Formats: sequence, structure tokens, C-alpha cells
Amino acid sequence: MPVTKVSQLERQRMHPILYLLRHRILSGIVTLFVVSVVVFTATEILPGNAAYAILGHSATPRSLHALEAKLHLNRGIFDQYWTWLSGLFTGKLGNSLASNTPVWALVKPRLINSGVLVLVAGALGTAIGVLFGVIAALRKDSWFDHLTSVLALTVTAMPEFVVAIGLIVLLSTLVFHILPSVSMLVPGVYAWQKPSLLVLPVATLVIVIVPYLYRMTRAATIEALESDYVEMARLKGVPEWRVTLFHALPNAVAPVIQVIGLNFLYLAGGIVIVEEVFNFPGVGQGLVNAVSNRDIPVIQFIVIVLATFYVFVNIATDVIALAATPRRRIGR
Amino acid sequence: MSQTWTSRSQAIGVSRRDFLKGAVLLGGGSILAACGGTSALKSVATQVLKPKRGGTLVAGLTGGTASDTLNPLAIVNNVDFARVAQLYDPLVVQNRFAHPEMQLAEEITPNSDATVWTIRLRPGVTFHNGKPLTSEDVLYTFQQVLNPNSPGAGAPSISLVDLASSRIVDPLTLELHCKSPFSTLVDALAGFYFDIIPVGFDPQNPIGTGPFKYQSFTPGQQSTFVRNENYWQSGLPYFDSVVINDYADEATQVNGILSGQVNAVNLLSATSIATLKSNHANVIISDGGGWTPFTMRVDQAPFNDVNVRQAMRLICNRQEMLDLVFQGHGTIGNDIFAKWDPLYDTAIPQREQDLEQARFLLKKAGQENLKFNLVTSNLAQGVESVASVFAQQAKGAGVTVSLDTVTPTEFYGSRYLSWTFAQDYWFYNPYFLQIGLGSLPTSPYNETHWDDARYNKLYNEGIGTVDVTKRAEIAHEMQVIDYNQGGYIIPYFPPVIDCVSSKVQGAVTSKTGIPLNDYDFKRMWFE
Repeated sequence: MPVTKVSQLERQRMHPILYLLRHRILSGIVTLFVVSVVVFTATEILPGNAAYAILGHSATPRSLHALEAKLHLNRGIFDQYWTWLSGLFTGKLGNSLASNTPVWALVKPRLINSGVLVLVAGALGTAIGVLFGVIAALRKDSWFDHLTSVLALTVTAMPEFVVAIGLIVLLSTLVFHILPSVSMLVPGVYAWQKPSLLVLPVATLVIVIVPYLYRMTRAATIEALESDYVEMARLKGVPEWRVTLFHALPNAVAPVIQVIGLNFLYLAGGIVIVEEVFNFPGVGQGLVNAVSNRDIPVIQFIVIVLATFYVFVNIATDVIALAATPRRRIGR
Repeated sequence: MSQTWTSRSQAIGVSRRDFLKGAVLLGGGSILAACGGTSALKSVATQVLKPKRGGTLVAGLTGGTASDTLNPLAIVNNVDFARVAQLYDPLVVQNRFAHPEMQLAEEITPNSDATVWTIRLRPGVTFHNGKPLTSEDVLYTFQQVLNPNSPGAGAPSISLVDLASSRIVDPLTLELHCKSPFSTLVDALAGFYFDIIPVGFDPQNPIGTGPFKYQSFTPGQQSTFVRNENYWQSGLPYFDSVVINDYADEATQVNGILSGQVNAVNLLSATSIATLKSNHANVIISDGGGWTPFTMRVDQAPFNDVNVRQAMRLICNRQEMLDLVFQGHGTIGNDIFAKWDPLYDTAIPQREQDLEQARFLLKKAGQENLKFNLVTSNLAQGVESVASVFAQQAKGAGVTVSLDTVTPTEFYGSRYLSWTFAQDYWFYNPYFLQIGLGSLPTSPYNETHWDDARYNKLYNEGIGTVDVTKRAEIAHEMQVIDYNQGGYIIPYFPPVIDCVSSKVQGAVTSKTGIPLNDYDFKRMWFE
């Protein structure tokens, strides 16, 4: 929006979206820094270090000492943190303590696999949730509305591993044998190259995220449909399809966007359990392994990637929600 | 009488009579098991069928991590064990009856006081790169194990070996000298950590003499191996290739078997048995010699009082522990380790629960209403569960046990070996080898802080005695000390529960406590 003449006051107040962006990006960077410090300290506080974790029962003082020296664990904690932080900015992520392979080579395929899982599940879940929510709102109190509402409530009450195991029992092991229960990916092959492996994990996640989105969309649409301006439009004789598409729905978008954002945030963390059940080689499983190995470079990198994703999704949701709210998107 | 290990191992390991004995034992076990016992009978029956070549075995194994390794001298976890069993061979192995059986060695013979051992190698064995196996490779392997800068996992059990004075006699003969008499060397070498590697071994390019050759390896995820056409045991292996996947949990393993994606899984809990059997999978339940003791520090109150230690042992209702934790599978223990060693004294009466006597002993020690913490962790199948069973049983003797649950990494962290009352997990080791590892003041893992002058003296006599009968007498006296004063409570020897899919043949039970008879995929085949 070109502004030719603005008052002093208005210049100080930037365009709300730009202002929001600047503010959020700055606080996001601070958040990431704090997260990295907290995670690093937490990993340090955990009893045992990578050498103990690797040697396990067979550790003797001599072999422990040898391995600690090899892994540079005998350096000070600040030294280790600084090496990691400076490495992050120079692209030197270091080697995994557990497997002595570069962190990036270890995490990259897992990031891609999880990324595919999150994106496909998120997109499908969003489409289904919004569609069903809108239909239920338009057909309020119909059989469709009642049925989907009851279904959504039932599914909300089930944790994801119950859903996952239910699907496995139904489609993979006991009833039908049509889909694989275990994601057996040859290292080097990505999840999207074996779509059959994605079906059950994606289905699980979709089933878990759809109900909330469905209920939110339904409620927001009903609220919009019952608002005064929609009533006004109807009284003016605007056709019902126009009322729905151009008057009601745009005003239901903002809360729905927030829920979609929340769903993506949930997915980034919620895939851990789904990855565990299906043995899916994703980033959640990688993080769990890294923690049990006290593999600090891998833990730090995965956490920073996940935290960045959180910050990014939060900013994106807020910007989109703001842009979708006419009364707030114009500079005051 | 100085034994030659060849004759003994042949008599025990590979003779037809013993094979049949094993088969009968197996069959008898499955009759006792009654329901679902057909699979065990079937696995015996199919041993006489002609095995078929070909196919790829897919295994889904738990216990691995991102620190998985292919270096046989540094193996730690269960999936490591599985992988190195495909790639390498040791000089001598503990067979499924927990007896030493010669592999790359043809003969390992001691001199009269067991200070010099002559190892004669099997001729005609080649590594995967075609290089013939020689005594230089064996010496190199021992040098790597005992390398002070990166000691192998087996270093503590052969600390008596003196490499500086050991020498190569000819390409197939090696003389191993010991710092002091070491009559149990063969038991030690059969103890998992002595697979033979070629001179100049590089873990990135793992070359062994084993039944399968290296193809690929991603730590914590998957490894693949292909058939070694020139394997020294002619006809073996049967599979064209073996794929080993690291699995995180048991549900994934069971689902993998049920959906037909996986052919072999390890380390299951008793709760999976029924599901798998009802789906016609072959569940293999071994009475392993591995053990999960309660450990009492004999140098710290209240367990420095032998009355308290004996009271703790009398608290255990051993059968109830097996019933509750393993659905009755497994064998009852008598607070003495090395269950399957021929030296194990079966004449010592079985200790039973006696709460009255336990109360009496505690009173005698002035420890009525004793309260203490039990440090427990998910170290092996059933360890955490049996801790709560013990705490429950202890109430019967007026003892309050609080559970202090920690992660395995914390358990084996810097406070390992200093817990006052805890648990642990050991693979099967023969009697004297186990003492060297855990029951001497010089042992690397003396978790009970056991240091008994008479016991130490007997141990030194024992490992200096080549005569088996004499050594048995010494061992029996030591076991009486274990039984009457020791710091371990060994209520049971847990079962090892593994499973192969119905089309896999040749999987057998084993007393070693290592799953799937030490991951013996070379003897399995597809129906």
C-alpha cells in the first residue's frame, strides 16, 4: 500500500504485517538461542555421557578414559558449547559422537522423511478437516453433522498410538494384510519413493489432527453464518452460495488458520510416537536415539531444526491470520 | 590328567549322540509346554530334513543404537552381536549347550601348569578378501584386544595373557604365554569378544572369515550381508543374504512377524508368546544362562552383615518371580552363577522362600523393619518388573524396599559399581571366567565389592589347575561360599524368547543366553 503522506505518528507505527514480522523474527532468534542453551545444559545435566552410553555395561575405567579422550569429552562445557555454536554458523556441524559420521549426513535423510510425513499428513488433514467442517456447518443438525461430530469426538479421545495400532491390526496384521506394518526403508531410499510405507503413518496422523480442525472450522463457520452482516446480506437478497462463499467463509478463516498452524506444530512433535510405532526412520526417532546416546551434536542440531520450524510456523500463521482479518491488516 | 580341548569339544559339541540328546531335550521341553509345543517339535523334526539354499533372511532386532559397530572387538549391544556373528568367527565358540566348540582353531592345548597354550589353526580358511588365515592374524587380534589405548571388550577376561613373550611358531601355530597359570583360557576365548580379524583390519571395510560378507551398514538402522561362497564350513550358509534391521520396540517386531515383513526377531517378553503362536510363528524359548541378579554391596551397611544378605535371599519366592514376570518360563536360581558350567554344583540344596527365617536373621542383625532403596533400570527383559515383585515379597519379612528407577545410561554411568543395592544383567559366562570379571578385588565389574581371602586363594588355585576333577572340587568349595555369604541374589535365570516366522527352519534353542543361538543365521533356511 503506497503511502505518500503520513503523519509522524504513522511512520513510527509500521505496517502491521511488517511490524509483526520484524518483531517475531527478532524474538524468534532469541528463542532459538535460549533453546540451544537450555538443551545443551539439560543434556549435560543428564547422568552419564556419550562414552558411558556407547560402552554400556562393558565400560572399564581404562576404556572409558580412552573413548572420552577420543570424543573430546574431557574439554570444558563452555568450550564444547562454543565449538558447536560457531560450527552452526560456519556450516561445520561436526560428527555424531555415537557413530562418528557427520551430523548432516545422519540427519538429512531423517529430515526429508519426516518432512514428507508432516507435509502430506498436514495437507491431507487440513483439506479433510476444513471440507468436513464447512459441510457440517452448512448442514447443521443434519445426519451428516451429527455423525461427523460424534466421530470427531470419539477420535479425539484416542491417543495416536492407539490409532496407529488399530490401523495396523486392521490393515496389516490380523484382519487384512494389504499394507506394511513396519517402515523398512533401505538407507539412501526416501519415504516418498516407497509410498506404500507412508500410507499407515500418514493415515494415523490425519486421523489424529482432523477432529480438532473439523470442530474449529464448523464452529467458526456457524458463527459467521449466524452473524448480523450475513443476516443483512440475506435480507438484501444476495444468493445463498454468494453469502456463504464471499460473506461468511472469509470471516471464519482467521481462527481456522490458527488451528492449522497448531496442527503443524503438533505434527512436528507428534510424529515421534508414530515414527516409533512404525519404525519410521524420521527425525523424531533420530532425536530419541540421540538422547539415549547423549549424542550432543545430533541432539542440538535436531532441536534447533525443530525449534526453527516452530518459530517459522508461528510467524507464518500469525501473518496469514493477520492478512485474513481485514480490520487488523490496515495500518492504523 | 591334562585335557585336550579338541576331543572334549567334539564329544560335546558335534557328535551325533549329543545332537540327539539335545533334540530329545527340546522335544521333552515342548511336551512339558504342552500347548503350542508343536512348533518346537517341528523345529527338531526339520533338522533331519534337507536344508534348502537361497533367499534373504530379514531380521528385526532390538537393542541397537546409533553407536552400533562392526568392529568385533568393541561390540556392546545385541544387534552388534548379531552382525559380527555373520561376518567373523572366533577360535572357539560357546555352542548351544554352553560348551566350548572349536571353530578357527583345531586345537588349543595347555602345558602342564597352563602358563603356555599352543593354538593350532584350522588349515585352508580364508578371509573374505581371499587372504588365508594365519597365526599372525590371531596374534594381531590379541594385540588389538589388549591395546591399552583402545582396549577391546574382551580385555578384562584375558588380562593374564602376556603378549610380549607370546610367539608365532609357524603359519598355523601360535604359542600364547600367560603371566601366571591360566587354565580357563579356552572358556575365556569362547566368550564373544574374540572374533579373529586380519592384520591391518579396518572397521570401515570389515573383513572376516564368517559365513556372510559385508555389503552395507547404517548404524542404528540397517545392515546387509551376502553369502560367503568360500566359507570353511562347507555347505553353509543357506541364505543368499541377510538383512538386519534395528527396531526400537517389541510391538514393531511382533507386527513385523505378523505382517510377514520380518523373518526373525529377538528378545521378546512373555506377553508376546500367545499372539505369535496363534499366528503360527515359531516362538523359541531358551533356558539361557544369562542372569539378572540383585547386587548387594558387602562392604556397606546393612549388607556388610551376612545375616542381612542371607535374609534378602530367603525373601525371594523364586518360582513366583518367574510366574509373574515370565509366565513361568526360565529356570530357578540358587544364588550361584554359571548355571550351565559343568563345574556348577547341583548338590547344594535349592534355597526356598522362608520369611520366618529371614525375620529371625534380620532380628539377629539388629535390622528389624529394615528400609532401603533398590536401584533398578530397564537393563534386560523383566529386570524392572522383578524389582517390584521383590519389593512386594520383602514386605512379608517386614522389609520396606523403595524402587529408585533410572535409565540404563544412568545405571551404567559414573555411579555403576557403587550402588548399594541394585540389579544387573550378565551374559552366560563359565564359572571361573565370571569370577575374574565380577567377584575379585581386581575384577573390572566387582559390583558387590566382594573380597574374601579364602575365595581369592581358591580362585588362584583354580585357574592354576589343569586337572578338571581337581578344579571341580575347588569350584565347589567356592560355590558353597557364594551360597552362604555372597553378595548376589540370583533368584532365576531368565528365559530368552525369540521368534522366527513359520517358513524359517533350523532355528534352535541355546543355553548361552544370546538370542537365536548367538544369531546363528548360517544354519537357518527357508522351507
